[in-house]
Amino acid sequence: MRMEIVNEVGPSDARTHLRYPFEIREPSAALHIRFAYAPKTLEDRESARRLMEQSIAQYVTPEQRERALENVERYYPLKNLITISVDDAQGYRGACHRQDPEQLLFLSEREASPGLYPGPIAPGQWCVTLSLHAVVTAKCGYKLEIWTEEETQP
Amino acid sequence: MKWVASELHTHTYHSDGGQSLSELAAGAAALGYACIALTDHNTMAGLREREEAERETGIRILPGMEWTTFYGHMVTIGARTFADWRKAHPRRIHEGVAEVHRHGGVAGLAHPFRIGSPACTGCFWEYEIADWNDFDYIEVWSGTWAPIKTDNARAFALWTERLNAGDRIAATSGRDWHRQEDTDEPLSVTYLGLADEEAPFADEAVRALREGRVSVTIGPLLTLEAELEGRKIGIGGVVARAAAEASHPLAVTASLRFGDREGRWTLPAQIYSLRIVGSGGVLAERPVGAADGDSRFELDAGGETWLRAELWGVARDARTMIAFTNAIYLEGAEQGGDTP
Repeated sequence: MRMEIVNEVGPSDARTHLRYPFEIREPSAALHIRFAYAPKTLEDRESARRLMEQSIAQYVTPEQRERALENVERYYPLKNLITISVDDAQGYRGACHRQDPEQLLFLSEREASPGLYPGPIAPGQWCVTLSLHAVVTAKCGYKLEIWTEEETQP
Repeated sequence: MKWVASELHTHTYHSDGGQSLSELAAGAAALGYACIALTDHNTMAGLREREEAERETGIRILPGMEWTTFYGHMVTIGARTFADWRKAHPRRIHEGVAEVHRHGGVAGLAHPFRIGSPACTGCFWEYEIADWNDFDYIEVWSGTWAPIKTDNARAFALWTERLNAGDRIAATSGRDWHRQEDTDEPLSVTYLGLADEEAPFADEAVRALREGRVSVTIGPLLTLEAELEGRKIGIGGVVARAAAEASHPLAVTASLRFGDREGRWTLPAQIYSLRIVGSGGVLAERPVGAADGDSRFELDAGGETWLRAELWGVARDARTMIAFTNAIYLEGAEQGGDTP
């Protein structure tokens, strides 16, 4: 099994899950996932300021807003955040909720990358879910590669 | 009642923490905690290291997971099976809570007023709540030096508001502990009251959360007990009085214990202020020294639907709340309490 997805998302895609189902036909020793997205950060401070002004208006009490705006730099640079979770035919195989914009992950019978559950790479319907927690840049491109041990690394 | 010093909100490298479970547990032991809940974001993978970490450090580790969703973070503790955080819809969070409950767990709102996206994705609670009683707790003190933070003040006020509305919901602290780093900021402790020490530890700790046998502090352990016809009713319990008796004075005793976690916290020498607070506000207030002891109050609690104790004082040059108990609920009060 080998799959490669290249896609681009924007701010309106934030707060959605993108599911990539795939079929494993033969038992395998390991499943590999490589995921990378870019850019990670919003470098344009004017856009960042606008986003934070909205956020502060939404989440901060009126009397604290001025202070929050004065200290807004502590949140910079604003970041895109896309996380991965994995399901096999039996159920959940864990998630990798972290900021790294490039992750090389694997699952196998006895070991797995941090956040993922070791176990058989059994035949059946699997799914990798991308959770778009934040997309702050106008565009964010990503590449998702999934392959079983028997395939050569793309 | 055995009170267990706990830290209920932690992360490891299985999500975005910078520590292994053993490192986390060793850090907790060094700070005098007896129990932690592992609440990694959206994964329970770290629990594979649970037995080893418990053996190495003597710390009890409760299984948990922080639902780290787009519309709020929900801490869950004690669920035996995974419940799918990805299905959480802004108007249907109760379905997720029900699933956590079905699996034997409890669910609480994590840092409900922390600024949300994009600064902290999903950190602000935006889920619609149809029934607050469905939730087991609100994490009202998040992070270090929690009592003075404005987000926490909002969460604490929310909790009080829910108690006033007749809901029975607990309040906890959680450091949201991601890495081992020294801090001189006061650390919160959530004490869980274990009623049955013979029962399996994790079951009993989760039961304490579910039933509100919880007390939170940055210093001494504060507990509260009411007396009714010779019977003692502790934190989380219900004082049921006949309507005719509700106007009689109610005896409650607040107890302070300074020796727990000795050497792991310091507060300036001072006279504290011990308060009994209810739905009607501050019902009684009394100065107390920094010594173990019981303070008995005879309260006119006729109109109250709940009571808690609070300890106020000075920490780091600020006058602040030092500790609070969870509520004792009163039934038969003139305004009437909800019976779940």
